[in-house]
Amino acid sequence: MIGRLSRYLADIDNLTTVYAVVVVAVAAFGILLLVVSPLSYEEEQLYPKSIDPTSPLNPYERGGDPFNRTEVLAQYPENSPYLGYVTSYLTPLSAFFAATSPYMGTTILTHPGGIIDEILYNTRGLDTVAETSILFVAFAIASFLFRREEE
Amino acid sequence: MASAGVAGEPFFALPFGDIVNYFTPYTAVLFGFALLFTLICILSRPEQQLDVVFGTDAYYAKGVTGKELRFRRFMSIACGCATMAAMVSGDVFNFTLFVSMVGVCIIGIVAAVKSRHVLDAAYNYGIIAIVATIPLFGGAAITLATTGTLSIWELSAMASGMPLIAKMLIIVGVMGEGIAPFYAAKAELFRAPGAPYVIMIHVSSLLMFLRVVEILLTV
Repeated sequence: MIGRLSRYLADIDNLTTVYAVVVVAVAAFGILLLVVSPLSYEEEQLYPKSIDPTSPLNPYERGGDPFNRTEVLAQYPENSPYLGYVTSYLTPLSAFFAATSPYMGTTILTHPGGIIDEILYNTRGLDTVAETSILFVAFAIASFLFRREEE
Repeated sequence: MASAGVAGEPFFALPFGDIVNYFTPYTAVLFGFALLFTLICILSRPEQQLDVVFGTDAYYAKGVTGKELRFRRFMSIACGCATMAAMVSGDVFNFTLFVSMVGVCIIGIVAAVKSRHVLDAAYNYGIIAIVATIPLFGGAAITLATTGTLSIWELSAMASGMPLIAKMLIIVGVMGEGIAPFYAAKAELFRAPGAPYVIMIHVSSLLMFLRVVEILLTV
């Protein structure tokens, strides 16, 4: 039995199936657990999120006025001396999109040179760097493979 | 702000706003190991594999040269940096980000290899690594929703801490990025020539496993 199981696991073509089964099992267990003892939503969120459908930056609107201080929560305020001053950054092209149409929120965020994602009021800047690095690594792999075809 | 988990008393913290990376004896050793291996990848020349044709004097030499060498070295250095960051991260979401970055870099290390078998394994590994991001980030999201924070220090100080389902999702996510039993695809990746770069795949998985155990026991 163990021999059969290990032979099955050793075949790399079966791995995706096994992983899918594990993910589904954990998800099912999670749903059962939620029914038995529901998790409660913590009202005091450190990074609250509210959606303003009228804003052209929807759903990425973080609130606050540019160049003015906004009240922002932080886990360790002593580490963020400019807390509340930095909310988001728009390049001229992004600002043009934002002023032109109220339906370009996602486009503004994703076009090159747009907001390099939500800066989250200066407190989680390392996340922004890490997310973009993942994207750049993926770009590097894709461009290497694409250019290799030309050789 | 200080709380001693299984990893011992932190002796140095590196703050980036709300994300405070911490060096305890445990995480510092893991960080040092990742750093050492990254330096080996930078300085060392790759191995040369030789396939001897059985019964004759003929052999095939499989070297890693030129652009392929540079690209694979770059990817293994990126993998080393992501591993180092994951080792000392004091934030659940930041940790999950670096774990998924390690997954992408591992595909990059073998993407340049021209071997059908290795690329097949990389493809299978890639699918698992992509799917694994869902439980990984799902675990972090559930943690934030139920506790209101992501800082490992704050979570370890809380009485309730991280919910069980979030812990399970994170462990399933990290398993998908390269812990047994889903390690078989990675084991196949080792058939690719170019030793220090390929072994980076193994080192990063081992370190990620040790680190996720520490996080889940702490929070």
